[in-house]
Amino acid sequence: MTVKTRYFVIVSLLVLVVGLGTGLVAYYVGFPATAFFSGNAPDELRYMPSTASVVGYVEVREIMASDLRQRLHKGIASQAQDDGKRELQELTGINYETDIERIVACFDSAQSADNSGLILAKGLFDTVKIEALMREHGAQVQDYKGKRLIVADHFGRNNFSNFDRAGRPAEDASFALTFMEPGLVGFGSTALVRQAIDLHASGGSSAATNDDLVAHMRGLEGGNAWVVGRMDVLRERAKLPEIVANQIPPITWFSVRGQVDGGFQARLTAEGRDEESANMLRDVVRGFLALAKLQTSSKPEFQRFVQSLQLGGTGKTVSLSLDVPAQVFEALGALMPKQPGEQKPQ
Amino acid sequence: MLWSRRSVFLGLLVGAPMVMAFAIRMVAVTRGLPVINGAGLSGPTLFGILIWLLFVRFIVPVLGVFYGTSLIADEVDDKTITYLFTRPVPRSAVLLGKYLSYLACVVLLVLPSVVVVYFLVVPIGGHIGESFPSLVEDLGMIFVGLASYGAVFAFVGARLKRPLIVGLVFAFGWESTVLLIPGYLKRLSVAYYLQALVPHVMPQDSSISLLLQVFQELPSVWVSLLSLTGITVLGLWLAGRTVEKREYVLEQ
Repeated sequence: MTVKTRYFVIVSLLVLVVGLGTGLVAYYVGFPATAFFSGNAPDELRYMPSTASVVGYVEVREIMASDLRQRLHKGIASQAQDDGKRELQELTGINYETDIERIVACFDSAQSADNSGLILAKGLFDTVKIEALMREHGAQVQDYKGKRLIVADHFGRNNFSNFDRAGRPAEDASFALTFMEPGLVGFGSTALVRQAIDLHASGGSSAATNDDLVAHMRGLEGGNAWVVGRMDVLRERAKLPEIVANQIPPITWFSVRGQVDGGFQARLTAEGRDEESANMLRDVVRGFLALAKLQTSSKPEFQRFVQSLQLGGTGKTVSLSLDVPAQVFEALGALMPKQPGEQKPQ
Repeated sequence: MLWSRRSVFLGLLVGAPMVMAFAIRMVAVTRGLPVINGAGLSGPTLFGILIWLLFVRFIVPVLGVFYGTSLIADEVDDKTITYLFTRPVPRSAVLLGKYLSYLACVVLLVLPSVVVVYFLVVPIGGHIGESFPSLVEDLGMIFVGLASYGAVFAFVGARLKRPLIVGLVFAFGWESTVLLIPGYLKRLSVAYYLQALVPHVMPQDSSISLLLQVFQELPSVWVSLLSLTGITVLGLWLAGRTVEKREYVLEQ
């Protein structure tokens, strides 16, 4: 055996042994995919609890700049939209059209109903102004592990009130805001914001280490807004009457991926518990599609939308793709009652 | 065998999937994998496509053809076969030894390439641990394929004067054609039994492949394994018998 051949054999065997060894360890220990690939999952997941059952993501700046949004803003209830934007800006100092780059939100079913939401927004924020405005409206500043936590007991329409309308203990419904790092603000239930600060300070088990969740997010790449979540957990949480719960096909995971540009394209995916439940769900959707086609046969403005609905998926997965052109939104806008002084859309 | 000009070409051939996998990984990291019909392509699916289209349907037959046919034909062309046949060992033992060295070379060439492709592609939206059993199945299937193709083409190389052309026609003409023809003709191919070993590697995402699966008749894993073992043994026996009986006339 020549020296070259010896090296070839050694290198080949080394690659094989190391590869198979790593694979074997991963097989038995459960090597997370995230160890090798971070993919396009947002960094904000590191601050969200691993028990998050729903995670949503919105590229706010991209959507605000989209052609569809511009047309909708001009066409539908522009006055109401402007009022809402001004109110939020007066209350928090945040202009969602220009200040926020993207939002990642989660719903944690392990928390109580009033403490289950957390929103992380990335963008350009005037921290001093936001804090001053919130304090002005009744919020209090606390220190938690070196972070300034701006806590309000109740998020009212025009101010942060110290009273809970339902008469519950204020702690359960309290709302907090903190600046996790420059350009990243976290707000939501005080418990989850504190947990996010804990995760930021010391790391640990977070949504980013929830392999199932991250794996489902990977299928959503390419959209500027998406939601992924566990339907079975939500259903348990909702405590539906048995008669209603029995009518819902047993879905484990669901996801919605949307792309807003000149129109709106989306793909809704549901993962059934088994193939039988997926087939059941497929039949239900097929029935609804047939009904929608029947209902819109005399309405040409909605026909393109209905025709774009495509049922797909194999095995346990059921998917529904749709493409809503801007004209459909405009047609819907035209059907909405007009506010005094608002012009009819062009 | 290992350091011939042919091997350099075949080394590049085996290296191409690794380069391709690296490029896919880079694209996935920077821009994400393409979305087809609204469905994001995942690493394990892509790995299955690469294994099926590149390795099983191309690299394994090519290595079998080039190395298998050259086991005896190269010795004849180089006029060195006389030195081997004058040794006090049966001629078939010489062929068997050359076949085993072929198997060692191609296994050490192809399997590491598959492992590298696996670690580059599967983590894109997949789990290394979850997909590991399929990697082992793929490696086993490729080993059996290399052994079967090598035995068949060893016989072709021992029997025919221009074995390379016949080998290429068999691998890329006959095998591709009979797999598409309904009936029993496909049973006279290696690929028919090989594809039944690991059906998951076939791309299953399109409606065409779904239709193909419905109408496709695949033998069971045990029938495939027995058939491929039979093909290997028969190929080697025929090759050994040919080498024992045939008089090789060296051109002056």
